[in-house]
Amino acid sequence: MNENHVIRWIQRVTKNLLNKYAILAVMLCSFGLASAQDSNEIVTGTVLDQSNGEPLIGVSILVKGSNQATITDLKGAFSIKAKVGQTLWVSYIGYASQDIKVTGGNLTIHLKESEKSLNEVVVIGYGSVPRKDLTGSISSISGNELRKTQPATFDQALQGKVAGVVVQQVSGQPGGGVSIQIHGISSISSNNSPLYVIDGVIIPPPSDPDPDKSHITGTNPLSAINPSEIESIDVLKDASATAIYGSQATNGVIVITTKRGSVSAPQISYDGYIGYQQIPRKLPTVNLQQLASILNDRALSWNFDARPEFANPKYLGAGTNWQNELFRSAPQTNHSLTISGGDKITQYMFSLGYYDQQGIALGSDFQRYSVRLNLDNKTTNWLKIGTSLQLAHVDENVSTTGSSVISTALGITPDIAVKNADGTWGGITNTAGWITSVSNPVGLATLNKDKKYRNQIIGNVYAEIQFCKDLSLRNEVTGNFDFNTEDRFNPVYAFGKMTNGINSGSYSAGQNYYLVVRNYFTYNHAFGVHSINVLAGHEAQLSTYANVSASRTNFPSNNIQSISSGDPTTAKNGGNTGDNSSEGYFGRINYNLMDKYLLTGNLRRDGSSNFPSDHQWVIGYSGAFAWKIKNEKFLEKVEVINDLKLRLGYGQTNNQNIPGNTFVTQLQTVANGLTGIAQNQVNLENLGVKWEQMINSNVGLDGTLFNWKINFSIDVYDRNTHGLLLQVPFPLYSGTTAGYQPGAMSAPYVNIGSISNKGFDIRVGTTNISNKNFTWRTDFTISHNENKVLSLGRGGSSANLSQTYGGYVFAKTMVGQPVGEFYGYVYDGVFATANDFKTHALPVDQNGVKRPISKLGGGIWYGDRMYKDLNGDGIIDTRDQTYLGSPIPLFQFGFNNSITCKGFDLNIFFSGNYGNKILNQLAISQNNPTSNATYFTSVLNYARTALINPTGDASNVNNVYVTNPTTTIVGLRNDQTNENSRPSNLFIEDGSFIRCKTIALGYTLPEKLLAKVNIRSLRVYVNVANPFIITKYTGMDPEIGSWNPLQAGWDNGYYPQSRVFTFGINLKLN
Amino acid sequence: MKSINKIIILLLLLVAIAGCDTGFLDRPSQSTISSNNFYQTTSDLRLATANLYGGSDWWQWHYGAFLPLGDILSGNAYFPWFGDFVQLYTRTITAQNSVMQSAWIGLYNVVAQCNTTINGINQYAPASVSDKDKNAAIAEARFIRAVAYYHLAMHWGAVPIIEDNSKLINDPLLNRNIVTDVYKFIANDLTFAAKNLPATDVPGRVTTWSAQGMLGKAYLTMAGLGQTGGIRNQAYLDSAKFYAGNVCKNSGIALHPSYSELFKTQFNDVPEDLFALQWAPAVGWGNGNMLLTYSPSNDINPQKGGSWTSLAPTYDLYLLYSSKDSVRRKASFMVTGDYYPELNAAGGGYKAGGPAMKKHIIGNEKDNNAPTMEFTSSIEHDALLRLADVYLVYAEAILGSNATTTDADALLYFNKVRTRAGVDPASTLNIDTILNERRIEFAFEGQYWMDLVRLSYWNPQKAIDIVNNQQRVTFSYASGVATPTASGTGGPQSVLPATISSFTLPLPASELAADPKLADAPVPYFK
Repeated sequence: MNENHVIRWIQRVTKNLLNKYAILAVMLCSFGLASAQDSNEIVTGTVLDQSNGEPLIGVSILVKGSNQATITDLKGAFSIKAKVGQTLWVSYIGYASQDIKVTGGNLTIHLKESEKSLNEVVVIGYGSVPRKDLTGSISSISGNELRKTQPATFDQALQGKVAGVVVQQVSGQPGGGVSIQIHGISSISSNNSPLYVIDGVIIPPPSDPDPDKSHITGTNPLSAINPSEIESIDVLKDASATAIYGSQATNGVIVITTKRGSVSAPQISYDGYIGYQQIPRKLPTVNLQQLASILNDRALSWNFDARPEFANPKYLGAGTNWQNELFRSAPQTNHSLTISGGDKITQYMFSLGYYDQQGIALGSDFQRYSVRLNLDNKTTNWLKIGTSLQLAHVDENVSTTGSSVISTALGITPDIAVKNADGTWGGITNTAGWITSVSNPVGLATLNKDKKYRNQIIGNVYAEIQFCKDLSLRNEVTGNFDFNTEDRFNPVYAFGKMTNGINSGSYSAGQNYYLVVRNYFTYNHAFGVHSINVLAGHEAQLSTYANVSASRTNFPSNNIQSISSGDPTTAKNGGNTGDNSSEGYFGRINYNLMDKYLLTGNLRRDGSSNFPSDHQWVIGYSGAFAWKIKNEKFLEKVEVINDLKLRLGYGQTNNQNIPGNTFVTQLQTVANGLTGIAQNQVNLENLGVKWEQMINSNVGLDGTLFNWKINFSIDVYDRNTHGLLLQVPFPLYSGTTAGYQPGAMSAPYVNIGSISNKGFDIRVGTTNISNKNFTWRTDFTISHNENKVLSLGRGGSSANLSQTYGGYVFAKTMVGQPVGEFYGYVYDGVFATANDFKTHALPVDQNGVKRPISKLGGGIWYGDRMYKDLNGDGIIDTRDQTYLGSPIPLFQFGFNNSITCKGFDLNIFFSGNYGNKILNQLAISQNNPTSNATYFTSVLNYARTALINPTGDASNVNNVYVTNPTTTIVGLRNDQTNENSRPSNLFIEDGSFIRCKTIALGYTLPEKLLAKVNIRSLRVYVNVANPFIITKYTGMDPEIGSWNPLQAGWDNGYYPQSRVFTFGINLKLN
Repeated sequence: MKSINKIIILLLLLVAIAGCDTGFLDRPSQSTISSNNFYQTTSDLRLATANLYGGSDWWQWHYGAFLPLGDILSGNAYFPWFGDFVQLYTRTITAQNSVMQSAWIGLYNVVAQCNTTINGINQYAPASVSDKDKNAAIAEARFIRAVAYYHLAMHWGAVPIIEDNSKLINDPLLNRNIVTDVYKFIANDLTFAAKNLPATDVPGRVTTWSAQGMLGKAYLTMAGLGQTGGIRNQAYLDSAKFYAGNVCKNSGIALHPSYSELFKTQFNDVPEDLFALQWAPAVGWGNGNMLLTYSPSNDINPQKGGSWTSLAPTYDLYLLYSSKDSVRRKASFMVTGDYYPELNAAGGGYKAGGPAMKKHIIGNEKDNNAPTMEFTSSIEHDALLRLADVYLVYAEAILGSNATTTDADALLYFNKVRTRAGVDPASTLNIDTILNERRIEFAFEGQYWMDLVRLSYWNPQKAIDIVNNQQRVTFSYASGVATPTASGTGGPQSVLPATISSFTLPLPASELAADPKLADAPVPYFK
């Protein structure tokens, strides 16, 4: 829809609404009049912005202890009935509320914009405290801050904004997930995802509950949440903060609070933008001429595979650039409308959202429709009830084959046309068996259907009972209900010799319920210089899933795709149901002495169905101490320091992150040619598996200096995880697998060892310039984490957790090393001169015999890669491998500048990684001249041999040399004896980068102007996301997220993050 | 009134918490059976052992390695368009060769399923299940485990022996065990199986005769192990003769009268098949018999697809067949112009366009009256041990270390195999006649490479010479004349000659990196 139409429509609607609400407001006031019989004075006044003196419109004014309420008008003026001596409560969103004593006469009230670091309320789990009274390590980010990067899903926007949190995009696919690690990799079981809690509702992390499916498509359950509705996000990092959440909180907690209504006149806001996305970078692939020249040379060397059509490369054109064909400039649109407000009895927030994003790769689209209703009702003076309810519908098109779109685009050569002249799809027609048939990726993305639909309800219903002034009970029922379907159809097609002769369709539907019932008492009491807050409660969680799938082939028409129109004799179906549960008892005490010394103690007992009955229950605890140093006498007069607080925390948390029913062997019914069915053992049991435990210490210092100009927060932590839970990647002879391997049993979940994370994170915010017309603020975050494996069970010094690619171990986790360290040989050039064969060790065969030097098959020859003989035994074998660097960054940082000048605001945000390595898997395949895919242009520099004596023997080792000895590309010989693709530092690249994440320029129209059209504020902006990146990495995007820490930093052609240009408006009406 | 409300709510809450009883945390799987609730009756045991005869357990080896290792590596067959197959053909196998890895992974998958089945029965089967039934079920699992280890030993020699996979949880990194102990382990399993398996069972299940036949073959192999000068260990030869002879004479089983019928699905599990994999249709990728992917044409495959790696016979194999040996030739591989009416019968049969493997190519779903058969789930129950194999093992055991033999028993059973195929009986036997007979009889049944490995144990030079002197090229065929391929793909390859190293496969590179102890010298298993 045209943006202007939308805006006009909204203006019309809001005008009408305003009229109605004005009446409502008047009625409220008259109620006030009616009920406040004994008020007799009319107080008038004006509310102004303290920084610029502009009137504030729509400010709520309440008389404390009565039902009197009003709002300010267009000039910021109000009048209300109140007695001298009564207190007015003046509140406005984004501004610090004030209590004003009525002294009679005309009041001028200046409201100050909220000072985030002080008045901000921080969610601590089953409660909240002012930031100043916080004892744990918690970082917060406001919804406004979050939205500056225009994220499709909120988790993407946390990157670089929160110190101590490493955020990496796993897939740039629309709606794709990110991996988030808080204070390092403390656990290596499937993921290190923190616990996500939205308004008390626990949301499964991105890879749960269906890990396999998510890994393929990168689908993210968090994508159902509209970022426009988020009020704030609190990231709970240390044990003292997370322990109260119990068993799922070991990796930290991300608490999302959505906006709620406040006691105010209706606030209507609209956020909308349109954007265009581009692929930021293309890989250097050969064109048709270059491909032809390489293949011609290769055919001479191989003595076969000469292709007549390439006989004369210079008459060939550039051919097809498949990256250009598969990637497109794609639009994205977002509309979000929020209405909130309320009276003293009921407050509401209602929001509508629509988000539509086409992926930059063909066949990937994402659409989200969402509705949210948050209600709070003070039913009686002792009972409060309310709800947070979100409905979301998500449509996704995932027919681009999974996340590895780049490798898909590189799998087909430039001699193939996307479409032939006759309109048929292009494909490989060369019938030589050597040339494998490959799918046309554009054709696949266009023809195949793979659509996912999801309806999600995230709801929370609560009742809060105030027994007396100090004691209350809150009952909560929260649920996350997820209904999803996937609809797939593969029609009959032909891409040259790659044909799909029979069409097929499949449909699957599933539902996941995640229910929590929670009850807790809160007791607050203050006496003298002491104040105490006690919490005690119980919660029980049940999650169930059910799914069915059906498929048929041989549909009479490609157009009629419902399952029942397929051939009934080909029908197949499947389905599973299951559940798991957990339960916890928890308690917390917060004690505050003289507003200087704060103590927190947590205790929680957790039970989980994931463990055998004798290991089901576990106890976690934590304690924290905070010292508000600024409140001590000796700092009272130190004006440089405005605020200073020291925090100490220590605790133990427990992790249950394994699937249910894996501790005992499961037998699955399978078809069998002997008896019809048989029972197949699907996993290897471990009856001894128990909770993983983490001991966490944290020291933090928060402060504000120089007249509130600089604020900082520093955390230093030491986390040790014991009894690490992991689905162990055993050697292959175990007959088990931690991944996918037909016929292998699922590897057991084992408590395999210990791991240590030590690190620090720092956040510094400064106000560099601040005056009436110009402000400049910067925020800098930096995180450093050292990860080290302390033990890996009883495998001795050789114990390791290896990850393989193409039959080789590329990453090896070992004691004393960080998790997921790269492993392999050290590349040492190519065999280029006769002397190289004398000075360099040669690889050996299975019996330890050196491979012969020979041009024949089975020999080592010129152009093969040399490796360093690290153990000096004169041969190259597996003992010559070493550690090649870590995928974990030494530092991750974010740097944000925001400048406002009169109505303009400019925001520039950088984030980056330093010191990590990436395995560039595409460089292995695309730099290999013996493969059958599109090469990188570097292959043109393959190792070329020449003869010293041109008439001499070409197979005499002393008569040959390599003319380009510095090349890293092997020769064209058709022999793999040297295993040139073995893991080496040649494929491990520096992944450091600085990325400009966003540049956003906005202009807020003058309020005076807008007031005439009933608009409170209007901001228009332009935004560029990912405008540039500085990196040495040669792949598409150095930001390689992974949900498997053992396999972090493996780039197999991920869906890259796009460059996005957006134009948008933020509109607020009164 | 208000306080009463509060009390009521409080009481309701307490009831709700109390309602969360201890059973709340017990959540057994709703989709699968747990081992601690299984193995309760003899029929449970039969369901558990049935699983070991096919399906995903065997898939990895069967699809990825069975024919490539048995027939490409040995010079019977060739497919030039897949680098890992070419490595087998040219004996330039690297430590990341996917065929070799599939064999390693797949055979150990079978071992793991057998081990957990054996341990599950021992642990959970109640006293109400008779010892005889328990032992019979364990015997089936031990037989199949022995077959898997037999292949492991033949290809790699020294390999780790695993009896209880759960022990890997505490001790994941193993040494290789010395090859003599691997064979001893195999012989122990087969001896137990021979004692505890019944003499007859439903078609498809192994019997004591399967175990005794396999035991004869294992002893024949062991007879050459570590021997030099072309002399084999007579004690093991005697054991081989004893068990194989027992099967020949006392099993009551005879050869199936027709050689070609053995490879048709109507004749799945005939008595001659002492051990055949029990494949089911409609099981999809990763679970079924995928030998149809070696088919020469999509036209004769189910769903008209999947003929990815059509295997061509070599000229060397072709030359071995006498003109009288046409039954076995036509059932094993086709040459240009051969007509097979049973393949795609509805489409008028199939006329071969060139030399190609025929065995295991059974036509489409209609030809086999199996509507849900896919090219990923052929319903052929292909045999890993046939009675004919035991006959030839018996003859070879009698030949032993002699240059020739005219022993009546040896000739009797050797010639039963020949006469069934319609070729003239032999009057004297030597190692060459037996090797060639086996190569012809079991072409494309994955046997010939293991025959060469068995030979290499006690007569390495002969084994090396056989491989080096093969006409390892493909051929074209027209008007009754076969012409070896001249050059290029399928023609002569310039590779280094075989050495004794060529008879051992390299260990997977990833496995050596994950378990560095595999590179150490093998250690004894039996202390």
